Amino acid sequence: MEQTKELLLNMGPQHPSTHGVLRLLVKLDGETITWAEADVGYLHRCFEKLSEAKTYPQVLPFTDRTDYLSAITNEHCFALATEKLMGLQVPERAEYIRVLMSELQRICSHLLGLGAMAMDLGAVTAFLYAWRDREKMYSLFERITGGRMLYNYLRVGGVRNDLPEGIIGTPKDGRELADKTIWGFINYLDSYVLPEWETLVTGNRIFQWRTQGVAPLTAKDAIAYGTSGAVLRGSGVNWDLRKNQPYSIYDRFEFDIPLGKENGDCFDRWWVRAEEMKQSSRIVKQALQWIQETPGEIMPAKMPRAIKPPKGEIYQRIEGSRGEVACHVISDGGPNPYKVKWRSPCFTHLQLIPYISPGFKLADMIAIIGSIDIVLGEVDR
Amino acid sequence: MDIRGDLDALGARFPEVAIEEVPAGGYNVRVAKGQYLDVVSYLREVGYNFPSCITAVDWKDRLELVVQLYKLTEGLTNSQIVMVRVDGLPREGAKVPSITPLYPGLDWHERETFDMYGVQFEGHPNPKRILLPDNWQGGYPLLKDFVDKRPKRPRLVRHRV
Repeated sequence: MEQTKELLLNMGPQHPSTHGVLRLLVKLDGETITWAEADVGYLHRCFEKLSEAKTYPQVLPFTDRTDYLSAITNEHCFALATEKLMGLQVPERAEYIRVLMSELQRICSHLLGLGAMAMDLGAVTAFLYAWRDREKMYSLFERITGGRMLYNYLRVGGVRNDLPEGIIGTPKDGRELADKTIWGFINYLDSYVLPEWETLVTGNRIFQWRTQGVAPLTAKDAIAYGTSGAVLRGSGVNWDLRKNQPYSIYDRFEFDIPLGKENGDCFDRWWVRAEEMKQSSRIVKQALQWIQETPGEIMPAKMPRAIKPPKGEIYQRIEGSRGEVACHVISDGGPNPYKVKWRSPCFTHLQLIPYISPGFKLADMIAIIGSIDIVLGEVDR
Repeated sequence: MDIRGDLDALGARFPEVAIEEVPAGGYNVRVAKGQYLDVVSYLREVGYNFPSCITAVDWKDRLELVVQLYKLTEGLTNSQIVMVRVDGLPREGAKVPSITPLYPGLDWHERETFDMYGVQFEGHPNPKRILLPDNWQGGYPLLKDFVDKRPKRPRLVRHRV
């Protein structure tokens, strides 16, 4: 006699729509997910063990490679931790450059996150548009830091080099200068890219049908599961470490925190990311104005020759592109960190998959993965 | 400020617990293994609702478990991290109660701590390896005396002639 049985389906590790090397095991009843589990570890590169054998400045480039789509924010986290351990004062101009770069990086990372989610849901055009704009950003980053994706730009105490001449531009720069000056890019983003995303995808009825009501997450669960960033704010929790635990100089900037509704679904998470780009662009403008007006040093005048923080420990949290990035650094007074623990938001978010996906269709799984915007480099470290 | 008040109340409730401020920010709450679960459930009840991370530290003669928690309520600024620490765990076969039932967000972090340090969490809903392969026999990588026993790979660098 024929019987209906649950089907165990293996997605990945090389399934093109699962963002890198993620393996998902899914049990299906018909087309409905009844059980799901994520299998990670394919990209494990021993970041924490490696950093115990390297000096502090040598660890900085490794942090780029954890979340490779948001390299500057990771560097910022480790640099802040080391500076606090050493009691170093970072020059003001370096702080502004760090914030400027972090926010540009956030825009860049969200563009890819949105583009990849749209592509997984079938809107390939959106992904190509995201790539077109990211290419312009990469040209800017390349001129500022020398690298296109992994920058190694921040230093313990400051940044490697000042902004090159002419990269800032003027507030009147238009579209044609988008890959030449930062003002040009920001104006292009505000006047062209963001409205385009709104009409092309966010306001698209098919896209809304695919994402609204899919995998809702209550605010209480979002906190209990340790989520942060767009996933937490998509569930309506007003929490942003830039506001609630201001690090660096974020308390000097004016920006708002976009929030989803109480039961945040995939669409809310998407919407929060799209709105965050607008807020980042606001911060970039304020930072640009300050940098243009105020010259200054980018490294402390009295920099110790050897970077050897005194005995102690720190747990430094920052708001990365995907959520709360934190590192727990223990120093024993030597040139190498005694221990580095990297708390990555994607690793924490991926735990949600077994919790929020049962009851939805297999095709919704793609939307769920896209909406939590994971980077496997950061999951496995 | 209210973080300090909470911790003072915690100290009054559990007199054996040592509370100290970390110079770089946050608080250390040192507990004995027997009180660990009670202290964490107490903190959970008084509003330390956000599980940030759990990890272990290898001090060469012993292991130390560190749990990072903080308060997450809207409008709260300067919510300092509270690190609950259990010191003096043996380096082999350490066992501590799991706090995943209290904080589901620590599920994978506890699995990772087991993977890297060999600390077993009793009562964990899914006690498996996570980053390393399931059949890994090579020991616990983040212990300081870990030796990689896998055969050396040939260097793929061409030598200059």
